[in-house]
Amino acid sequence: MALSRETLLQLYEMMVKIRTFEERVAEIYYEGKQPVFNIAAGPVPGEMHLYSGQEAVAAGVCAHLRPDDPVTSTHRPHGHLIAKGVDLKRMMAEIFGKETGLCHGKGGHMHLFDPELHFGCGGIVGGGIPHAVGAALAIKKRGEDRVAVSFFGEGAANIGAFHESLNLAALWKLPAVFIVEDNLYAISVPKTASTAVRSNAERGAAYGIPAVQVDGQDVVAVYEAAGEAVERARRGEGPTLIEAVCYRFRGHFEGDPEHYLPEGEKERWKQRDPIVLLAKQLKDQGWLTDEEAQAIQDRMTALIAEAEAFARESAYPPPEAALTDVFVQAE
Amino acid sequence: MHPTVGLIANPASGKDIRRLIAHGSVFDNNEKANIIRRVLRALDVFGVKRVLAMPDLYGLVLRALEEAHVGLRVEFVDIPVTNTAADSRLAATVMAQAGVRCIVTVGGDGTNRVVAQGCHNVPLVPISTGTNNVFPSFVESTLAGMAAAAVALDVERVWEQAVHRARRLEILREGRVVDIALVDVVVYDERFVATKAIWDADKMRALFLTAPYRGTIGASAIAAYLPWAEQVARDSAGLYVELGAGQTRVLAPIAPGLIVPVSVRSVSPLELEQTVPIPHAPSILALDGEREVPVPPGASVAVRLSARGPYVVDVQAALQAAVEEGFFVQGGTERG
Repeated sequence: MALSRETLLQLYEMMVKIRTFEERVAEIYYEGKQPVFNIAAGPVPGEMHLYSGQEAVAAGVCAHLRPDDPVTSTHRPHGHLIAKGVDLKRMMAEIFGKETGLCHGKGGHMHLFDPELHFGCGGIVGGGIPHAVGAALAIKKRGEDRVAVSFFGEGAANIGAFHESLNLAALWKLPAVFIVEDNLYAISVPKTASTAVRSNAERGAAYGIPAVQVDGQDVVAVYEAAGEAVERARRGEGPTLIEAVCYRFRGHFEGDPEHYLPEGEKERWKQRDPIVLLAKQLKDQGWLTDEEAQAIQDRMTALIAEAEAFARESAYPPPEAALTDVFVQAE
Repeated sequence: MHPTVGLIANPASGKDIRRLIAHGSVFDNNEKANIIRRVLRALDVFGVKRVLAMPDLYGLVLRALEEAHVGLRVEFVDIPVTNTAADSRLAATVMAQAGVRCIVTVGGDGTNRVVAQGCHNVPLVPISTGTNNVFPSFVESTLAGMAAAAVALDVERVWEQAVHRARRLEILREGRVVDIALVDVVVYDERFVATKAIWDADKMRALFLTAPYRGTIGASAIAAYLPWAEQVARDSAGLYVELGAGQTRVLAPIAPGLIVPVSVRSVSPLELEQTVPIPHAPSILALDGEREVPVPPGASVAVRLSARGPYVVDVQAALQAAVEEGFFVQGGTERG
């Protein structure tokens, strides 16, 4: 698990890919929704929860995962899915609700499923955590060295299923890694108003599993900690909890007026932009020039533009498809 | 103005990757709040009326106050909370400017290292809750509070008998001091700070120590278990150890539960004001067990041992001096 130039440039490119995707989706999202914010209007109807600012967590963790390592995610899934290696065209098409999308246009932004990448997500807070434990149980029973990873927020860490999941994963020594993305707010609820023992890293002790707190804005720190946790799980040594302290640079949802944020807080956190932080570290080592950084940005911009064009050009699912893939078809 | 005691409790200590790659104890924040509560009770009983504390995202001091039942007033320094080491450094600076008599720190080597960058001449009362804990003491916190009260209330002879100036290692980049360490500096064969901790003995190239420590854990353990290291250091010096394939291998506890053979090439004394350039680049300097200062190729970085460390209160000596002054006795000090 060397911190080589190649590895770090891959992490850098992945974060730029996620950021570029999210910022472009934000622009597309507002098409048709102005001047009056009509959530049903435009090419991307419905809610939108974007990952800008938290790229280091998805990139740093997923860099250690194989395509067949299961990952469960949340209402804010784009970063995790992109870092898992999804086909951006099919992902964008799904966000647009087109039949060429991952779920044939029926899931949308919060219900992105990719069976080839063993990836699932949903808007039920904490709903994915027991799923990852179930996947880990299957892996163990099959005697495989795959790892199941669950991403969720610090708000989700207060629901019952979180506690049940950690208990079972610990009891049965399952190959699961739990990533708490602590971005300080559950929608508008600050952690100080929701959580009695405010460091989720301390909750590992309640279940007898090792837990680590890392700087979620530093992709190298996340990469290093996640690497140890994933290797531990593959060796059959059981689960780990990683608390990544991070911050979202956009609202909880697109359109969020963010009245609950203290003055100046977001600006302070933006000074720790994970992409800028890694770029500086790489430049100090002579591993990245400004020209190379621009070339990476240009490539990612082109990639996302290609995905967007594919999505726009694709057809909507026909009305007859409304009941396909909804019920189990009797053979 | 009433004598004020500063309080800096680090919520992040005891949660890093050494819980995963070694067997570091988990020092949860409830226990830290308990520790702080005992300090506050001691300060209160002995008449300290004001405490200036560092705010943090986990509300350690607020939690401690909940069941402390103290009469003293606790105020918080007005700083932005970033949940990084910068908070402790800035809090110490503000406390020193506000004229606190001493600063009680709750944390490990890393916490004290950062506080020492801001505290100027204000003495520290370090209570350990970190991983290796070479600098701070495993002292019961009620006693630390009592010692802090004795220092704050200027009990006679406590300063003279119990406050000593520690040494420090200064990191120089292009001749300017950019950072410090209170215990050790390791030249580590990595380039990035990442999770900060160091645990791979094969990546350690050289080691600087502020003193010939005995019976410690962490990088300083590499010299602590060499029988001739203390002799080499003589009275006033620290140590410089070159690591790598050599004649001697010492089994050293470089992290909790992690005892590994470390190859030692040479041990030399490190004199005060002696500057040693770092020959290995690229590398990264780990200060008191945490990767902090990258040494990129071509950089001019050096380490210097200095007497300009923080003032530190020896809790036992402070209590003893206070006993002799009758600090703990109510009524007359005549026997019988």
